[in-house]
Parts: sequence; structure tokens; C-alpha cells
Amino acid sequence: MSEDEIIDPIRLWREWMIKSEKQWSDHLTELMGDERFSKGMGRYIQEGLHSHRIFSDGMAQYLSSLNLPSRADVLDVGDRLGQIEDTLAGLQVEIREQRAQLTRLANTGVAPVDTDQPKRPSRTKQPPTKASS
Amino acid sequence: MSTLAQTSRQAPVDDTFESHVGRTVERAISRNIPGLRIPQTESELDVGTTPKDLIYSRDTARLYQYRPLLDEIYRVPLLIVMSPVAKGYILDLAKGQSFVEYFLLQGYDVYMIDWVAPRREHAALGFDNFVCDVVGDAVNKVLEVSGEPDLTMIGYCMGGMLASMYTALNPDGAVKNLACFTTPVNADGMTLYKRWAEAKSFDIDRLVDELGIIPGDMVNASIQALRPLQKSAGQLNLLNNVHNDAFVKAQLTFDRWASDQLPIPGEVARGMFKDFLMDNKFALNAFELRGETVDLGKITVPFLHVAAEYDHIVPTAASKDLISMVGSKDKQEIVVKGGHVSLVAGGNAIYRLWPKLDEWLRERGT
Repeated sequence: MSEDEIIDPIRLWREWMIKSEKQWSDHLTELMGDERFSKGMGRYIQEGLHSHRIFSDGMAQYLSSLNLPSRADVLDVGDRLGQIEDTLAGLQVEIREQRAQLTRLANTGVAPVDTDQPKRPSRTKQPPTKASS
Repeated sequence: MSTLAQTSRQAPVDDTFESHVGRTVERAISRNIPGLRIPQTESELDVGTTPKDLIYSRDTARLYQYRPLLDEIYRVPLLIVMSPVAKGYILDLAKGQSFVEYFLLQGYDVYMIDWVAPRREHAALGFDNFVCDVVGDAVNKVLEVSGEPDLTMIGYCMGGMLASMYTALNPDGAVKNLACFTTPVNADGMTLYKRWAEAKSFDIDRLVDELGIIPGDMVNASIQALRPLQKSAGQLNLLNNVHNDAFVKAQLTFDRWASDQLPIPGEVARGMFKDFLMDNKFALNAFELRGETVDLGKITVPFLHVAAEYDHIVPTAASKDLISMVGSKDKQEIVVKGGHVSLVAGGNAIYRLWPKLDEWLRERGT
């Protein structure tokens, strides 16, 4: 008996689940569209925001008393890292523009040719004719 | 006959269920259980590797130019506007499966507006910033770098909203052709979100004021709600195909991308919820940006809309009106089988959509 011929009930269940997933999902989505669900979800989010605020404030004080960084401190570090990334991105753009400028000058013979700069392709391509495509 | 020869010829197959389970476990271990080696980062996934240069950055937007792969290219550059809630690497998966690479190989000069996660200082960025500043600047930059007076714009999902808003606000601008992929225009077609919005139980103002930036997990959860069991079914399918390395890799890449949603600046979320979902202003040509009304009828350039038949994120009911709303005479709609993601990545996209899109673009790319 080959392995394929062995009846694997778990695999069969998985295959049934995969095939019927859309119906189950549609049913659940329909339930979530119910007004009671959306009201409950709205309430849950509002309460979540409120408890998040209380918990964050309390935790910040606690962490501060332990001389440990709070979430706000971590976010500050994240923001500073993001600003450094922005600056690096700006430098990348600037270097590319300077190289492009050098290439333009090299074309007029004013500056040495930058051999690393990729050659610009010509923009003359035409769509294939019906016969050739 | 030797004992060894006898053994190999009559290799007994133990066909009991226990031995089958044992062999499966053994095989999984011997193959390092690929299903459990879940890539964590984009570099582990090895995506987004087509060579590119960053040519402009502003706030959360990054404009890249992909390095041309041919010596001769079409005159009109191609600017892709990615959705601000999704990462652009879905359009640049592995070699041979990359949307970007495909169009480079067909001879296009490809640019992409991709997005990074917003920080607290970006909380006040709204649709007006994204459309008028980011897309506007990106268009100017592409024209400057390419040296051409016009371009073709392609918007994916919410990127399609930004692209169509920009084109509508600049009818005599540089956009020569516009293609939108699965772009939501009519909020009435987004049934679940519309019901949530209409129930008025959800205080978006408080959420935005409290959080500033809407976390990616929250964005992801709202998308998951549209098909709650799809992810679980995907995991089960993964188990069924755990010995197929290519399948495992592709499935994990898609899963990773699908759960890799970017956070949204609070003002954009407010605009999406109030103006788009509650008031349906985009469909009513009443969406306003910096005092100007976005009238999709003002789009007169050649227009292509691509929708997916089984898209549960932007159902065709939410996107189908776009084609009739734009004022272009040269307009076309392609509806392909598949879902929101398989529209742009995977076998369905490679063999069905990309060649059709190329056909449409090349006629208008000179």
C-alpha cells in the first residue's frame, strides 16, 4: 500500500476545512456585520483605549521609579532612528544627483567620466508590429 | 542470493497507520520542517531585490527608480503608486515572479512610490499630503530624471485612489495614461466596513486623537475580518504541502506580506472612515483636497481598470464604478480570476494579467 492510499483522517479534515473555508468565513463576516456586533466592537475599542491610557500612565510611573525606559522613551528612540533613516535617504538622493551632475559635466568634457555610472538606455523602443508579435 | 539482496528486493512496506505517521514525522524532521522556518524579515524572504536607486524621499514616501535591463526602452516612464498601507515588495517578489522585473524586461523605465511606517510626527498627514505633495513631487521627479514630458501612472489598491485623485486634480498634467488595479471607489460595495461605519458605534475621532498613528496590527485585523478563516485555511494548506519547498516558500512569502501591513497616519484613517466610508464622497465626486473637488469625470487620459473576480478586500462591487466614472474615451476594464493579491503576484498574474497589461501599455508608451 503506498502512502497516498493510506486514509489520513486529519488530512481529510484539513482538506474539508480548506474547501469550506469561504462559507465559514462568509458566515462569520455576516455575523460581524450585525449591528450588535459593531456596537460591541465599538465599545470594546473605546474601553480598550481608556484602559490603555490608564495602564500606560501607571506603567510609565512604575518604570520611571525603577529607572527603566517607558514606552514613550522607546518611541522617542524609534522616532530618532526614523529621523536618521530619513537623513540617510536624503543623502542617498543627494549623492545620486551629484553623480548625475558629474555625468552631465563629463559629457561636455568638463569632468572625468564616471565609469561606474550605468549607461542610460535610449528611449526609442517601439511596440512590436502585429505581424511580428 | 545474499540476505542483503533479498532485503532490498522484498523491501517490506509497513502499511499500518502508526508507521505512516512515523514516516511522516521522520521525513518532516529530515527536511528541517520547512513549515516552521518562518522568515521574519524582507531580507530573509529575499524579496524586493531588483536593483533600484532611491531618487526622492518625503515624509513616509520613497520614490525608487529601477535600473533598466534593456538598452532600448519605451519613451514614456512608468510610475507605480503603491498602497500606503502595504509594502511594495509584493510587486517585486523573487526573480521570475516580479512584476517590476517583468516590465523592465519588456522595456519600460519603471519607478515606484513605496512607503515606510509613519512616526508620531506624521500623524497629521492626510490624503491631501499624499496626493498633492507626495504624488505631485514624485511625478515632477520622474519627469526630471527621465527627461520626458509625460508618464504612465499605475496605482494598486489605495495607491489607485491616490493616482486617480492626482490625475483628476491635474487633468492637463503629465499623466499620459492611467491604470488602476483593484481600486475602491464606491464604499457601498464594501459591505462590512460600511455597516460598521453606519452603526455609528465607532468613534474614529477618539481613536485617531488617542493613537495618532493607527497601528499596522489594527489595519491587519480589519482586513482579516473580511475573511476571518482564510489565514487558518492557508496554514492547513501549508501542512498539506509541507514537502513542497516551492509551495512553502511562496505561501510564507504571501502570508508574511499579508500580515505586514503598514500603520496609517491618523488623518488618512479619518479621511478613509469619514469621507470615503461614511459619506461615500469618492463615488459622489465630492471628495475635497485643499479646497478642490476630486471629480473623476475630469480624467480624460487613456484609462485601464483591473479588478479581481474573487477579491474580498476590494470586491468588484466597490471598484466597478470607476470605469464608468472616469471621463476618458479610451478606457478599458479587465476582470481576471483570482483575489486581491493574486492579481499582481503569482502564476495567475504572470501568465494572465502582466501580458495583457504590457499589451495595453506598449501601445501607449511611445
